[in-house]
Amino acid sequence: MKIVEGLKYSKNHEWVKVEGNLATIGITDYAQHALGDIVFVELPEIGDVIGKEEAFGVVESVKAASDIYLPVSGTLVKINEALVDEPELLNADAFENWMVCVEMDDPAELDELMSATEYETICQD
Amino acid sequence: MGNLKRTLFYDNHVKAGASLVDFGGWEMPIQYPAGIVDEHIHTRIKSGIFDVSHMGRFIVSGKEAIAFLQHVLTNNVLALDLLQAQYTMIQNNGGGALDDAYLYRFYEDIYLLVVNAANAEKDWQHLNKEITAFDARIVDQSAEIAMISLQGPDSKTVLKKLTGSENLTEPIKNALAILDYQGEDLLIARTGYTGEPLGFELFAKADQGPAIWEKLLELGAMAIGLGARDTLRLEAGLPLYGHELGLDNDGNEIPIFSCPLAKFAVSFAAVKGDYIGREALANQYIGFKKIMERELSDLSHLARIVRPIAITGRGIARSGCKVFKDGKEVGTITSATMVPYLKAEGYGLDSKITDEKAMRAIGLALIDGDVELNDRVAVDIRGKLVPAVIAPYHMKSDAPPFARPILYGVEVERKFDSPRDYETKALNLLERSYDNTILRQHETINLIPSEQTHSAAVRLLSVMDPSFRYAEHKKTKSFYDYDVFYYQGTAFIDEIEYLLMEEMKKYLRCAEVETRVISGQMANVAVFSALMDYKNRVNRKVDAKRLGYVMNNHIIRGGHLSAQPMGALHDYIAVDPLTEKTAVVNFPVEKDNPFKIDVAETKKVIEQYKPELIIFGKSMVLHKEPVREIREFVDAQKLSSIIMYDMAHVLGLVGDHFQDPFAEGAELVTGSTHKTFFGSQRGVIAGNYDKDDYKYGFWETIETRAFPGSVSNHHLGTMLGLLMASYEMNCFKDLYQKNVIDNAKYFAKCLADEGLEVAGDPAISYTETHQVVVRVGYGSGPEVANRLENNNIIINYQATPEEEGFTASGAIRIGVAEMTRFGFSKEAFAETASLMADVILRNKDVKEDVKRLRGQFTSLKYCFDDEDIAAQLEKLKNTF
Repeated sequence: MKIVEGLKYSKNHEWVKVEGNLATIGITDYAQHALGDIVFVELPEIGDVIGKEEAFGVVESVKAASDIYLPVSGTLVKINEALVDEPELLNADAFENWMVCVEMDDPAELDELMSATEYETICQD
Repeated sequence: MGNLKRTLFYDNHVKAGASLVDFGGWEMPIQYPAGIVDEHIHTRIKSGIFDVSHMGRFIVSGKEAIAFLQHVLTNNVLALDLLQAQYTMIQNNGGGALDDAYLYRFYEDIYLLVVNAANAEKDWQHLNKEITAFDARIVDQSAEIAMISLQGPDSKTVLKKLTGSENLTEPIKNALAILDYQGEDLLIARTGYTGEPLGFELFAKADQGPAIWEKLLELGAMAIGLGARDTLRLEAGLPLYGHELGLDNDGNEIPIFSCPLAKFAVSFAAVKGDYIGREALANQYIGFKKIMERELSDLSHLARIVRPIAITGRGIARSGCKVFKDGKEVGTITSATMVPYLKAEGYGLDSKITDEKAMRAIGLALIDGDVELNDRVAVDIRGKLVPAVIAPYHMKSDAPPFARPILYGVEVERKFDSPRDYETKALNLLERSYDNTILRQHETINLIPSEQTHSAAVRLLSVMDPSFRYAEHKKTKSFYDYDVFYYQGTAFIDEIEYLLMEEMKKYLRCAEVETRVISGQMANVAVFSALMDYKNRVNRKVDAKRLGYVMNNHIIRGGHLSAQPMGALHDYIAVDPLTEKTAVVNFPVEKDNPFKIDVAETKKVIEQYKPELIIFGKSMVLHKEPVREIREFVDAQKLSSIIMYDMAHVLGLVGDHFQDPFAEGAELVTGSTHKTFFGSQRGVIAGNYDKDDYKYGFWETIETRAFPGSVSNHHLGTMLGLLMASYEMNCFKDLYQKNVIDNAKYFAKCLADEGLEVAGDPAISYTETHQVVVRVGYGSGPEVANRLENNNIIINYQATPEEEGFTASGAIRIGVAEMTRFGFSKEAFAETASLMADVILRNKDVKEDVKRLRGQFTSLKYCFDDEDIAAQLEKLKNTF
C-alpha cells in the first residue's frame, strides 16, 4: 500500500495536499484498493460551497457506491474532469489522480487531519 | 470473522490472495487480486472457477422420493431424465420462493438437490418437516461433496485435460455425466450461474477438492470471486435469491412468476398432482400469461415482473432505486451495477472479440406488468432521474462457445450496392449471374454434399414451357381413381408426371410414389400431416391427436432438421404429458462412434417408447442406417411403428452400392431430388403399399396431403427436368453410385494421409456414403470454411456430435458427388486433398492451383451428350 509523505489524511481515506490557501483532495491508495475496480466518478461543480466532512462526490466500484467527503470546508475551484471519462485512473494511481481543489474557508481545519505516519497506523489496524 | 464457516477451499483462497468477506455465514472470496472486472472478462473469454461449496447439497432417495420432490419443488421431477438436471424452486404455500435450486439426477433413483448457502439451513428444516409424510430420505452431504463451478469458452478443454476424458456430457445444457478422477467418481453437470454457453459444475469427493482446484488453475482457469459471480449472473439475467426472489425491498414476498425463469421452473403437469403452493402459483400463472399476451386491463393476479433494464444515461443504478415512467413510479431495481465487456468488431460469424474493455450500467428491475419492452424509463439514482430503457436481454448465449453482450440499441446494417436505374439494374443482374456461373462451374471445387450441378438437359427443361403453368389434379373414386385435371392444356404434363412416377418407382423399387411435393422438407411435412390425419380418421369430432412417440436422429448427431420438432415435425408432434416435452426420442449411438446408430440400445428404446414413427436418415451421414435390423425387431415385437427413411442426402445412392430401403423393410421413403440424386430441386415420397393393403388408405392420405395439402402449383418445369434426371439416373446409376462411394473413401484416405483428422471409422475407409467429415479444431469450422472459400473450395462447416452448435463447429463436411459427376479422377481428388491441407494446416494461398485443377473438369458425366441430344438442346435454346 502506498502512502505519500507530506500530505494530510482524513479518517475517511481522503488525502489533502496544501498549497497556500488551496487544498487539492483525492482518495488514498488504501481506499481505491478497498473499493476494487472503480467504474464511475461523480464530481461537484466549480463554485459549489461545501462544508467539512460533507459528501462532495461519489466513487463507484462494481460492488458499491461510496460517498467521498471533503476533509476541509471550502469553495470548489477546480475538478479533475479526466476522472469522469476514465474512472479507472483512480485504481492506477490514486495520489496522482486528484479529484477536486478547494479554496479553504479555514486552514485551521487542517490541524484535525493526520500525518502520513498517523494514517499508516490507522490503515494497519 | 471468527464464527464464519469455511469451505474446504479456504486455504486455496488465502494462498491466491483473495479478499474474504462474510457471505451468508461463510467466509468467502469476494474477489482475488485480479479484481472483479478482469475476473468477469476472463470467464467470458477463457474460463473461470468458482468455489460454490458453500451451497447446500442434499441427497434425496427412497421409495417415495419422486412423490416427495413433486410436493416440495415446483418443477416436474418426472420430466427429469437420467443424467439431466433441472432448475426448480422451493416454494411456500403462498407461491413465494423459499429458495431457488437445481435438481440433478446422476443415478436412477438418487436425486441431488443443490440450494443456496444463505438458505441452506432454512431449506433443510422445511424439507425435513415435509418429508415425514413420505417414505423417502434426505441426507445433507454438503461436507462430503466438494463443488466447483467451471465456466467459460475454455471450460470444455480444461475439463478434458483435467479428467483425461474425451467424452464429457452431451453438448446440451443441463446434461450430466459421471467421469473418473484418480479412481473416484467425478460428477459433472452442464449447469452454471454465468449464462456461459459452455460451463460445468463439478461434484468431487471432498478430499480431492483442493487439489482439483489447483489443477484447474494450472490448466488456465482463473479463480473467480463472488463479486464477478454476481456481475456474470446479472449480465445473463439470472435471478439471485434476496433480490429477484424472496422478499422485495419493502419486505413483501415476490411471487415466483414475477421471475421469468418460473416459466421453466414451475410445472402444472397432471402427474405432479397437488403440491405446496400450487393454487397460488396457478393464480400467478394467470397473471403471467396476461402480461405475456399483453392483456393488461387487469393485473391483479400478477402485478410486476422482473425485466432487464439498461441505463442509457450517466450513472449506476443499485438495488432499491425506484424506476419511473412518465413521472409515475413503475418499479424498483432488484439488482444492478456496472459490468464489463470486451468490444467486438465485424458482423455475424466474422465478428471478432477484441481485447478492448468497456463498461455498461445494467440491471434487473421488478416492473409493472404494463410497462413494455423498449419503454423509456428513468431510474432515481441518489435523487437524480437517469434515463434508462427496458431491454429484451443483456446478453445472448446462442452462438457458442462465447456469450455475447447485447448492447441496447445496436442495429446491424446490411448494404448491397445496386445501380440507380432499372435498365442498369437488370443488365447488372445478368452480368453478375454470368460471373457467378463461371465461378462455380469452371473455377470452384464444389464439395457441399447436398449440392449438385444438373446436366444441360435437366437445366434447360426446367425452364421450358410448362414451367409457368398449372396442372392441379386429383384421383377421383367415381372414375376408378383416374386422375382428373382442373385446367385444360395439361395433357403434356400429365404424361410427364406419369412417366416420372414410373421411373421413380423403378429406381426406388416400390409400388407408389408421389412426385408433386417440391422439396424434401415438404415431403416430410406431407407424411407427418398424413400420419396425423390417418391416426384421427375414426373420430373427427374432436381435436386431432398429434404424433407421439416419434424416434429420430438427434440434430447434433446429424439428424435432418426436417425430422425435428423445430422443423417439419413442429405442428404434428405431441407433448408428452408426463415429461411436458415433445414426444421425441433419439436413436442412441455407439459409444466410440457417434456417427453410427447403436442397434442394441435402439431396440431397448423402441421397446420402452413403442414409437408410432421411426425416422431414419441424416444430413451428416457416414454409415448405412440399420433399417433391416430395426424392421426385424419391430415385426418380432408386433409393433405397428411406421419405419420411414428420409433419404434426402442419399437418394442418389439407392441400390446395390448403398441401401435398398424397401427391400430392407422401410415402409416409406422421402427425399430431395437434387443432392446425390442429381435432379431439379424437388421432393419425393415413396411407399410400398399394395392397393389391397389395409394401409393403402394411409398412402391415399399422403397423396391428398401433398395435393391439396401442401402444394397447388407443383412447379411443372422442374418436373420435366426431374424426369430427364431420372432417365440419367436409371441409365447411369451403377457406375455413378460406385464411383461416388469409391471416391469418398479414397478422398477420405487422401485427406488423412495429408495429416488431416478425418472423422469416422478407418476400418471402412471412414465412410459408406458420399460424405467425409474432417475435424479442424473446436470452434474453428466457420473460419476454416471461410478460408477454403477464399481459395475457391466450397465446403460447409459442421458441428460434430460433441459440439454445442453451428458457431462452435469444429469440423467441415465434404461431399464428392458433384465433382464425381464432373469426372474428377483419383489424381484430382488426391490433389484436392493436398490443396485443402495447404489451406487448413499451412494457411497457404492456393486459389490459382484450384482454378487450374477445376478448369480441367468442366463437362458433366453420367448424362446423355450425343450429337442428337446436343442438336435438340440447341433447338430448345433457340425458342427463347
